[in-house]
Amino acid sequence: MKLAKVLYASVAATVLSAAAGKSVAQTVSVGAVLPLTGASASVGDDQRRGIELAVAQVNARNGVLGRKLQVIVEDSGGVAATALGAARKLVSVNKVPVVLGEFSSGITIPVGEYVVQQGDVHINIGSSSPQIRKIGDGSFSVIGLDDLSARFAATDVFSQKLKDVAFIAPNNSYGQGVAAEFRKRFEALGGKVSSVVLYSEGQSTYRRELQQMSRSRPQAYVYSAYGQEAATINREAYELGLNKTKWYGIYLTMCTSDTVPQAAQGQEGLEVASIGQGGKSYEDAYRQKYNEAPKSSFGSYAYDGVMVAAAAINQAGSTDPAKIRAAMRALGAYNGATGTIAFDAGGQRREQPYDKVRFDTKVVSR
Amino acid sequence: MSSFVLHVATLGCIYALLALGLNFQAGFAGLLNFGFVVFAGIGAYASAILSSHGYPAPIGIAIGVVVAMAIGCAMAGLGRNLAADYWAIATLAVAELIRTVALNEDWLTGGAQGISGVRPLFPARAGAGGDLAFFALALAMTAGAYLLYARLSQGRFGRAIRLMREEPALATSFGYRLVPLKIKATMAGAAVASIGGSLLAHYMSFVGPDYMLASETFAVWTMVMIGGLGNSRGVVLGALLVEAIYSAVPFAKDYFDIGSDIAGAVRVGTIGCALLACLLLRPGGMIPERIRSPR
Amino acid sequence: MLQFLVDVLIRTSDIMLVAVGLSVVYSLVRFPNVAHVQYAMLGAFATLGLTRAGLPFALALAGSCAGIGLVAVVLNTLVFRRLLRSGSSIAMIGSLAISMILIAVVLGVAGSRPWRYAPTLSSPLQVGTTVISIDQLTSIACGVGCIGLLAVLLFRTNVGRSMRAMSSNPALAAATGVDGARVLNGITFLSGVLAALGGTMLGLTETVHVGLGSNLLLPVFAAAILGGLGNPLGAAAGALLISIAETLVTNVDFGWVVGGSDVYVPVTYVSAASFVILLVALLFKPYGIFDREVRRV
Repeated sequence: MKLAKVLYASVAATVLSAAAGKSVAQTVSVGAVLPLTGASASVGDDQRRGIELAVAQVNARNGVLGRKLQVIVEDSGGVAATALGAARKLVSVNKVPVVLGEFSSGITIPVGEYVVQQGDVHINIGSSSPQIRKIGDGSFSVIGLDDLSARFAATDVFSQKLKDVAFIAPNNSYGQGVAAEFRKRFEALGGKVSSVVLYSEGQSTYRRELQQMSRSRPQAYVYSAYGQEAATINREAYELGLNKTKWYGIYLTMCTSDTVPQAAQGQEGLEVASIGQGGKSYEDAYRQKYNEAPKSSFGSYAYDGVMVAAAAINQAGSTDPAKIRAAMRALGAYNGATGTIAFDAGGQRREQPYDKVRFDTKVVSR
Repeated sequence: MSSFVLHVATLGCIYALLALGLNFQAGFAGLLNFGFVVFAGIGAYASAILSSHGYPAPIGIAIGVVVAMAIGCAMAGLGRNLAADYWAIATLAVAELIRTVALNEDWLTGGAQGISGVRPLFPARAGAGGDLAFFALALAMTAGAYLLYARLSQGRFGRAIRLMREEPALATSFGYRLVPLKIKATMAGAAVASIGGSLLAHYMSFVGPDYMLASETFAVWTMVMIGGLGNSRGVVLGALLVEAIYSAVPFAKDYFDIGSDIAGAVRVGTIGCALLACLLLRPGGMIPERIRSPR
Repeated sequence: MLQFLVDVLIRTSDIMLVAVGLSVVYSLVRFPNVAHVQYAMLGAFATLGLTRAGLPFALALAGSCAGIGLVAVVLNTLVFRRLLRSGSSIAMIGSLAISMILIAVVLGVAGSRPWRYAPTLSSPLQVGTTVISIDQLTSIACGVGCIGLLAVLLFRTNVGRSMRAMSSNPALAAATGVDGARVLNGITFLSGVLAALGGTMLGLTETVHVGLGSNLLLPVFAAAILGGLGNPLGAAAGALLISIAETLVTNVDFGWVVGGSDVYVPVTYVSAASFVILLVALLFKPYGIFDREVRRV
């Protein structure tokens, strides 16, 4: 039995090393874990595009440490265990010093904790749950967390004289975080959140959840949901006639990325501002390469993530993770596509501008 | 690269533990358990919950074993009146029920996003030393489980459950009470699976309700069937083989530059085809059970 | 009250056809075929493929049903009959392998994202405070209509009589001149058709995605076992019971228990309702609540 085991292990090893022998000394590699399949696949695709644009930009300008930058992208499948396997491959096989990712807070947190535990640098490019803070030293966020977005949303909704709302978000660290924050802010303003539903991800119907929410007859529905699931929620809300009441989406682009436009018509919401000083040039480059407007703002955060990582590596002068961490902390203010990025003591983004938007066959500002 | 091979080998050992447990229940005792992975899930959650409250790892493992054996006892009790394949569906239902509870009760299990940051078993040696130590532990556990089952199956208990598998009426006529036999066999399989689950939680530093999806049980079943139902040696081999295939897929994806959906499809399809081939061509598995001569 | 009824009917039509298909063929094959729910998924995708190829929906549906019926017959002849020789447990594991292969094929061809038949939405009809959409009405009508047709087929035609004869006693049926092989293939074809129909309707009211079959596994088996395997109309009744239980669990306001208002059971526990019913049925009434027909559980 022992011999057979050794035999199998060595066969596997030979096959795998033949397959993976692609690492070249001429490039500096960083890793990224993205949801290329699963409920958030359209956002993952946009993130990948942002990364590609950043790589092209960096390599056009002398690269990193005089060498070409390469970002190895792995699919998380929208599942934490797959994401962890991908992170493991990036850290131990590809030996990258920096890992970007992911999008969903429930995946970013375990991935970030693993990467940081291994001594590498983690950059959060899409998750906004306040729980991201607990990943600890070595993790940096280029996107603002939800204490900021929930405050903005609560103020925005209340100012429209909507005092009694129902809230729905996914049942994970992101949804729980934004629901709790929104409720706190909204009730502090004097409003009432009559129903909070945390839906289970990956279901093919949310009719029951919607019916439970509608029983309290709210003046508005505040929601935040990932692409495919948001599409189902919006469609079923339309079929139940609930879209006659106002719908407010937090991160409206994400909420409507896969929704049939008819179902989302007239919704309002907030969006992370992707127009900073570098925003216009990001948008132009995106249009030029992909022949369409940026699908969501998360691509620009991925773009900024890569740019910040490249800047830090250049500043550190080496690919040693500890030096890159120190360089990230010492970075100061960086002008990216999403505005001015500065990290606070916990590695989180200090300020996050938001836009008020609404949906009129697509997301436009209001 | 070598650390990745170590990773595959470690996971292979952990899954070998699960496969050995299922092999004992299904192969030796004829109990078709389609909810098997719930025992591993319980071990994993017990370890994660207790270690996050500060208890040392062995306590978590022990509690996991106890709870898993209790659930196994309940499952086997269900099988009192049921034929093998209907009991299989009942075990599937029990597993899904437990998974739904794990998904919803955030206060205990962390809900949908599980429990992350589980303390590693060897915190003093970080990096490669820790991984090597863990692999040694997993290997030792696998060897231990193998020996345990070899011992159990050679004694009177082993003969009794094999007889129960083949000719239940004959077994009853010999005076064996079938239900206690079933319960003991299920508990024996559950205990080892729970240990495997605890190891997985400490290794991945993470546990989530996805660990208890039905597809995980099907993967373990594939390992057992490919290796040979009723043969411990073959089953360990099956576990390593299936784990190697699973882990090779991301590399194949890079090498052949195929999309993630196709990679997922290839993974599931290969396992399904392998299982079907084994069933059609070699129903005894790659290394079938050897009927010992009564010398 | 009317909304409750509508919800129950919608959920029943989701699982009824597939459960009936399972029950119809069970008495002949005598093993739980877990690949049956994947036939439903395959049927939904086949309809999708045919509509994308340009056929109108009704024709695509017919084509898909015929196709899946054929697939069911082929798989039964080539795979399941051979495996059954080694026992029903091996056949069940074999059906698991077939499920994996079917999922892999669809995943490779269509990907993991959900699809819809038409890019437009179906407008809701309002009757008082009750809302129902055209798609949901279609699904319910189709389900009820099919059950009616099936009942007519089984109880009023010669073919149906042969089928029922084969189900209860194959040897005796053969002795009276019923052609066993033809009837077996006919019943298998029928079960495939029902599965494809059920899957397409589910794809209409929800979405067509690769997990469609797996999500159906436990509710469909619960409904079929509850109604008594081999009793197709019982399976329909079982589906109704399951959906009543599920709808009750999530629609009843438990505010009076905890002293608040609008307190509901979390929706994720709704599937637990069907599992618990399945377990209770297997424990106490393993032959189904109607307790006739097949006596082997």
